[in-house]
Amino acid sequence: MRVALAEDGALFREGLLMLLQAAGHEVVGSVADGDALVDLLAGEDADVAILDIRMPPEPDGGLVTAERLRELHPDMGLLFLSHYAESHYLMRILEIGTEAVGYRLKEKVGSVEVLTDTLGRIAAGEIVIEPVLAKRLVERPRGDRKEAVDTLSPRELDVLRLMAEGRSNNGIAAQLFVTPKAVEKHIANIFSKLGLQEDGSEHHRRVLAVLTYLRSQQERR
Amino acid sequence: MTSDPAPPADGPTRAPDAAADRRLTCRAEREQWQRRLRLQRQLHDGASLRISALVPQLGVVRTRVPDAQPDLDASIEGLQDQLHTVLQELREIARAIYPPVLDEAGLGPALRDHAEHTDVVVRVDVGPERFGPAVEGAAYFAVTGCLAALPPGSPPVEVSARREGDALVLVLSGVPPRSAPVVADQVCGLGGEVTTGGAPEGGTIEARIPCG
Repeated sequence: MRVALAEDGALFREGLLMLLQAAGHEVVGSVADGDALVDLLAGEDADVAILDIRMPPEPDGGLVTAERLRELHPDMGLLFLSHYAESHYLMRILEIGTEAVGYRLKEKVGSVEVLTDTLGRIAAGEIVIEPVLAKRLVERPRGDRKEAVDTLSPRELDVLRLMAEGRSNNGIAAQLFVTPKAVEKHIANIFSKLGLQEDGSEHHRRVLAVLTYLRSQQERR
Repeated sequence: MTSDPAPPADGPTRAPDAAADRRLTCRAEREQWQRRLRLQRQLHDGASLRISALVPQLGVVRTRVPDAQPDLDASIEGLQDQLHTVLQELREIARAIYPPVLDEAGLGPALRDHAEHTDVVVRVDVGPERFGPAVEGAAYFAVTGCLAALPPGSPPVEVSARREGDALVLVLSGVPPRSAPVVADQVCGLGGEVTTGGAPEGGTIEARIPCG
């Protein structure tokens, strides 16, 4: 796989670069800030760009750089690495894109197997979320949302499944041959059945709904 | 994090330098928060970054372990897991000193993230406005201290914070008013005032913190 890397900590950047090479990936460039990454990728193609969230341009250059990259290269996967796994950053990442994105702790991509698996899933279009964070989101505030997925009607499950694939309301409507208004109504029912209160933004609840669903699927396998 | 449990009432008979005293206390308190913020950043930029850099380096070493030595591979993997545990402990310490999300994103995101770690359901209604490290730190630890004092199985709590003139007004609803000293401990050093109301188990605590 072709990978580009931007990280301002020289020690970690060098370590990750060596690990990527040891895993047999082609590193098209390794730079220390977001602007240099955008410049690099203007001339080089990559399957996935790896970005440190907290790097220049300050304060969270990884996020602003990723927005530019998504605009310039919509098919390029984005892997965010951070020292913190916090839902605040996850929500901001999912505002940039809900396909081919990943958010992981720096020290959790420290083996060839995990690194390659994470990059592969992102390149295949999946959302990869640090497991400790996904678990916390789905289990809070009460650990009963998973069972709640079983109370959804078949049509609501269809809608939730398409949400999990990263589709918009209009996309879901087209797929199911219903009106966008009907999709909104299904989504409102899903939020209510999953106990997602109105204190969060629509986007926040959408993500929680998707995470709940993803987790219930994982446990059925 | 000790301070007087409650501020002395300001009466007309007080010595004329009371206001000057209060300004000094406020300045010392603000410097205290700045120190905490610096310590937290130092922990991240120094020790934590160095430790996380060790993990991919060990990953490279693992690729050089001959297939015939699976024990060695497993021990290196064990070391990597232990480094993750060390980093998680450092993250807990950083959060206790001054939460990185509070520093980077403000009161609303920090309180919402905290709510994910609590047993009691917490609804947070806080806008994106920033109030500086001292006021945000005091408000954050006032809320988390109050939540920590709740017995397990307590009903949901609502937290709101908004600017009113030159003060940040923090309101906790659904909490026992007897927790007010926990809030006062955090905000009074900055010249804040705390008032309470409502039922013993589900009342409100309101704090007004001057923020210039």
